[in-house]
Amino acid sequence: MEIKIDHIAKIEGHAGFAADIIDGRVDKARLEVQEGARLLEGILRGRDVYEVSQISARICGVCPVVHNLTSLKALEKALDIEISENTALLRQLMMLGQLINSHALHLFFFSLSDFFGIGKDLELIKKYPARAKDALLVRNFGNRLIEVIGGRSIHPLTPTIGGFLKLPDKQKLTELFKKTDRVLTSAENLAKLFLNLEYPDYIRTAPFVSLSQKPAYAIYDGLIKISGEAVEAPAKFLEIVEQYQLTGSAVKRSLYQGKPFMVGAVSRLNNNATFLNPAAKKMFSAAKIRLPNFNPFYNIPAQALEIVHRVEESEKLLRKILSKDLTKNDIAEKKHLVKTRLAKIKDATAGTAAIEAPRGTLYYFYEITPGGKIANCRIITPTAQNLARLEEDLKDYLPEILGTKNVCRADCQAKIKMLVRAYDPCLTCATH
Amino acid sequence: MAKTKPVIVIVSLTCCEGCQVAILDLGEKFLELSGKVQLGDFAFLEESPELYHYDIVFVEGAPITEQNIQRLKDLRSRSKILVALGACAALGGIAEIKNYQDKEERMRYVYKNIEDINNPDIKPLSAYVKVDLEIPGCPINKDEFLAVAKKLIAGIPVKIPQRPVCYDCQIKRNECLLQKGEPCLGPITLGGCNAPCPSSNYPCDGCRGLLAGASYQNPMKQLAKQGFNEQEVKLILQRFGVEDTIYPDKTI
Repeated sequence: MEIKIDHIAKIEGHAGFAADIIDGRVDKARLEVQEGARLLEGILRGRDVYEVSQISARICGVCPVVHNLTSLKALEKALDIEISENTALLRQLMMLGQLINSHALHLFFFSLSDFFGIGKDLELIKKYPARAKDALLVRNFGNRLIEVIGGRSIHPLTPTIGGFLKLPDKQKLTELFKKTDRVLTSAENLAKLFLNLEYPDYIRTAPFVSLSQKPAYAIYDGLIKISGEAVEAPAKFLEIVEQYQLTGSAVKRSLYQGKPFMVGAVSRLNNNATFLNPAAKKMFSAAKIRLPNFNPFYNIPAQALEIVHRVEESEKLLRKILSKDLTKNDIAEKKHLVKTRLAKIKDATAGTAAIEAPRGTLYYFYEITPGGKIANCRIITPTAQNLARLEEDLKDYLPEILGTKNVCRADCQAKIKMLVRAYDPCLTCATH
Repeated sequence: MAKTKPVIVIVSLTCCEGCQVAILDLGEKFLELSGKVQLGDFAFLEESPELYHYDIVFVEGAPITEQNIQRLKDLRSRSKILVALGACAALGGIAEIKNYQDKEERMRYVYKNIEDINNPDIKPLSAYVKVDLEIPGCPINKDEFLAVAKKLIAGIPVKIPQRPVCYDCQIKRNECLLQKGEPCLGPITLGGCNAPCPSSNYPCDGCRGLLAGASYQNPMKQLAKQGFNEQEVKLILQRFGVEDTIYPDKTI
């Protein structure tokens, strides 16, 4: 029997699904990614260190901030350039904005309808007007954080090597700080809704991977933690991860020690739940989610908890940055430094960076020539890591939802789509 | 019987989908607008079957795969008005950078197995089908989109005013980056964006495409005088694919 879904809506990018079932056994279960190859790693070669982070941000319109910042971090690592504490704080605030706005989009607009059998969000909004308002308010807060610091919420402009082209207006940061209480209430409302949904009881074991840095719920720095135990430096993990390509596919899938693994909210929760902020931790305890959690559908409530945690974190960091003077040192006047560093390079210098994007850990590797051009580049996105895991889960989950039936009708197809959406895949990132 | 609402669809080809995100970020303004139309397909919000006829189709992204091209042609044949949304659809976008490189080498660099992966020269939608209107930008200016969409829905013809980014920049009273020695493409780039880039001290890199009828030579000479060599300038012009318009004969 063949199962085919031509197009799965409400995910970032385009994909269909195909599976073959022979004698009740799932022979193949594939997400058929329908994105063109933009060859980002290729086209960045030969281009200037000052422009590549703007170009690579265009990999994704949902998470441009994390592409922009991971790229900058990798360049700074290669060029051995340190950033000020304020720059690190402002970058983390932008990231919080990104993680909040992306999760709000995914939770309310992409995934929620799966639990009510409503295909149209406009109907969902009519049914849950108060929660729709909460989702929009939370998303707007995330957008505003990015806009105030980055100059624009989609493809931000101010971050550059070593700092910022322009510093944010403190008045605007104060306005955002004053909103955090109200936003936290909305985030909690949303989290309650998602923690009370009924998730399919599907459990499997799989390695889970995220950044980890005690005592933080790491997003911007740290080591790569695998299944709560092993720890590797990002550059080392990048060497270990095995990427492979299926014929005709423009997405590279990934394996860790020969196994498909999962990144994203539920993996972060598994690795770092101890470091959730108080309100998020309280909701987490009340929800009685046992860790490590091996149900991929729990990526959804994990994202909901993360929104609460991140609004709290934004409040903390805004308070911190507002107590400081933003000085010239935070504006990137490091061109001379970049020049000095480049002059020291003999053949090439390289740097790797990893940060937590909304959908999981994002890696950038650059090799730079003495002329300040990109010689080599490698980008591994969260969905490129999750894809093999998602397909393995679908293969494993299909017999459960098919039961003894010999066809996959609407309800069965709905469950397939629900699992796909629970992973919050971004196919434009995966292909790039 | 009530007058039927116009059917509108928002479709992506290959791109970052940031223009769709921008539309969604209109928030309640978008919801208000969507009440006035029949939303045929907007993959971010809807899971709806294809309709036969569309009044207005907004297409973001560049046609890269064969399916992209087929989809574009099919949409054109079923739509009254086709609008190219954003830099990828209007110009080719950042994917077009490979047109200025050895694209086969770039493909082999990224993929071991290049079989069945499409690698065409990147062209705007207008190279494949008739485009009625282009809303430029990377990403689009969402307020401009809203204003244009409202007019189109009301049946009012729309033209994007041909003014340079400098016009927007002056309204914002920004300090001129070009005069400060930055390689800003503001004078030759189509405005209407509210100049978010120069307002962030980031020189305009031409994401809205060239201003019709602008003289390109003087700004190029100006950049040369400021110490930027031709290759440096070309790298900037390639970002949104306008190098071939300014230097039609040669590439790096």
